[in-house]
Amino acid sequence: MKSIEDIVAGHRVVICAGSGGVGKTTTAAALALHGAQSGRRTIVLTIDPAKRLADALGVKNIGNQECEVKIGKRGSLAAMMLDQKGAWDRLVERYAPSADARARILNNRFYQHLSQSFAGSQEYMAVQQLAELHGGGRYDLIVVDTPPTRHALDFLEAPQRLSDFLSRDVIRWFLKPYFSAGWSTLRLVNRTVGVLFRKLEEATGVSALVEVSDFFNSMSTLFDGFEERVKRVYQLLRSSETAFLIVASPDEQVLTEAEYFCRQVKDLGVKLRGVVFNRVQSESEIEGEPFDEGWLAGVVGKAIDSPERRTALVQNFLRYETQARGDDVRIEAFRQQLPRGTAIAVVPNFEEDLHDLEGLRRMLPHLLAA
Amino acid sequence: MTLSDLFERRLLVVVGKGGVGKTTISCALALEAARHGKRVLLCEVDGVARAAQLLGIPAVEIGEVKEARPNVFLMAVEGKAALAEYLQLIIPVRRLLSTVFNSRIYQYFVAAAPGLKELMTIGKIWYEVERTNEDTGQRLWDLVIMDAPATGHSLQYLRMPAAARDAFGSGLVHREAQRVVDLLTDSQRTLVNLVTTAEEMPVNETVSMYAQLSGELKMPTGFLFLNRVHQTSFANGDLKALDAAAAKARNGREKTALSEVAARARLETSWTELNRRNRQRLRAEVEMPMIDIPYLFTEEFGLGEVKQIAHLMGEAGAATARKRERA
Repeated sequence: MKSIEDIVAGHRVVICAGSGGVGKTTTAAALALHGAQSGRRTIVLTIDPAKRLADALGVKNIGNQECEVKIGKRGSLAAMMLDQKGAWDRLVERYAPSADARARILNNRFYQHLSQSFAGSQEYMAVQQLAELHGGGRYDLIVVDTPPTRHALDFLEAPQRLSDFLSRDVIRWFLKPYFSAGWSTLRLVNRTVGVLFRKLEEATGVSALVEVSDFFNSMSTLFDGFEERVKRVYQLLRSSETAFLIVASPDEQVLTEAEYFCRQVKDLGVKLRGVVFNRVQSESEIEGEPFDEGWLAGVVGKAIDSPERRTALVQNFLRYETQARGDDVRIEAFRQQLPRGTAIAVVPNFEEDLHDLEGLRRMLPHLLAA
Repeated sequence: MTLSDLFERRLLVVVGKGGVGKTTISCALALEAARHGKRVLLCEVDGVARAAQLLGIPAVEIGEVKEARPNVFLMAVEGKAALAEYLQLIIPVRRLLSTVFNSRIYQYFVAAAPGLKELMTIGKIWYEVERTNEDTGQRLWDLVIMDAPATGHSLQYLRMPAAARDAFGSGLVHREAQRVVDLLTDSQRTLVNLVTTAEEMPVNETVSMYAQLSGELKMPTGFLFLNRVHQTSFANGDLKALDAAAAKARNGREKTALSEVAARARLETSWTELNRRNRQRLRAEVEMPMIDIPYLFTEEFGLGEVKQIAHLMGEAGAATARKRERA
């Protein structure tokens, strides 16, 4: 049975996927720290770290800069924080063929209002950045934290969707002269499409259609080669160099989502290598006969005189035990439906948020254990 | 503000970072509203159909409405289906419609068009808020609750109508978007509620969401639900006494028991302290009435727990009201 440690050791790219709020960022940082400590030149691509973790990693929210992290004598760790805000603006700035084209897009009203919610731009930026780091060859290990999405799959699907949206077919459709000329010209060409366009024009206003057309017109120059880039990144994500890990918590909802991800990854041609459960409450290790409340109260009574405080302590213990039984059942059920050979790590519920290098080191033994 | 004030509105939006228990709080709100005599529609948006499980019924198909509990109706809303429904309303020619739906360009465009899914979803919710019974002319729902999905930008759904209104300077989309904006910014009809846990990252996001809601979006806010709050602290002296007893214990079983009782008491005390600190930050930075929902230790989270939370919510809501009256 492989451990998460084996998985990390055997791959150049490790991607931590999973729904939000399960400790993805922390897990990615801890795995990168481990990679660096074992002598590999390592970088972690992080999305939205807690302030203390960002401080610990020394990353700043300006552009996408590689920052060196001091981790002691041995190993080299770098961190890069993907700036989520304005991801699309940066794509435009980066790939616009001329200053004129850039300005035309950035000033397009349609673009301005909708660019905030463009599907997939963050995910696209993340995979694009990954591809560049990978191509640069300066790192032996790249650990990637994925953007917080409802569905873990968005990270895989969004770049493709973006590519579809800007595909030549779609753009060509919007570039047809009748689109901006208005529906009356079109009616002569095709009656069905003519009716559709009249509806569309009523719905959106003529000027909007002209702007939409202009938007696609500008975009078409910008995204020459876009499909090619997405294709290359896709090959990297599916190559044997890349390992996908799911990060989850033993929460019912999180596990339902993770199960869905496991079912879907296969269709996307990606193999799931490991699962990390964070914040797991484990059952107590009181050996022998099942214990009862009375016995426990008696034992605690040897240290605590006050009956109220004694009861409070025992009740607290039992509440955590209940939680632990539930966590155990859920994790076991989840484990059952994983493909054979999937590495699993169970990280306990610590009494603090782990947000610094010390915390990451505390987490590591559990993360790496077989 | 009281919970009853909340239930006098037409639309309650529930937002928050992923994994903080938004769906649980939405379900509990729906149960509590029904107890106040309201006929409630709970809309789960782009969800993993978690609400159905929490309300104890099998999953609901997209577009289907099911009465999950007495007077609590559940509907799964999804952007693509909502768009298809909308197009059927504005393009009544069936042959034309199927040409549109089957075209590859439509498929691509719907999947990726900026904000279209969000716009259609919120449009559908607006439609349900306004919907009347065809025979009697009466409103179909007293109250609609929107369990908004958690994404990178949690407020994307609420932002879309205004963006669409401004992007399309005239025409049908402009007019319809304006109507949705009117609903969302009318404090007599709509309140946006926040859900968070008292931990660093969710609190950061809540603070930023509150700033956006009250700033650029100008949306009226309701309650801030602080979920999964740990509320027990143990005295350091007692913890030390347990440690000492564990060290002395001869019997291995008793030794383990004592140290585990101490460990879990420390865990609970730490989480209580961590929650308290983050709660203070929320108090300082978010000007919304707050309702604490304690952490529930359970083996399985289901309808029983949701009912328990609805009950706690009702009590806390009433207590908030009493405090206000006295003040």
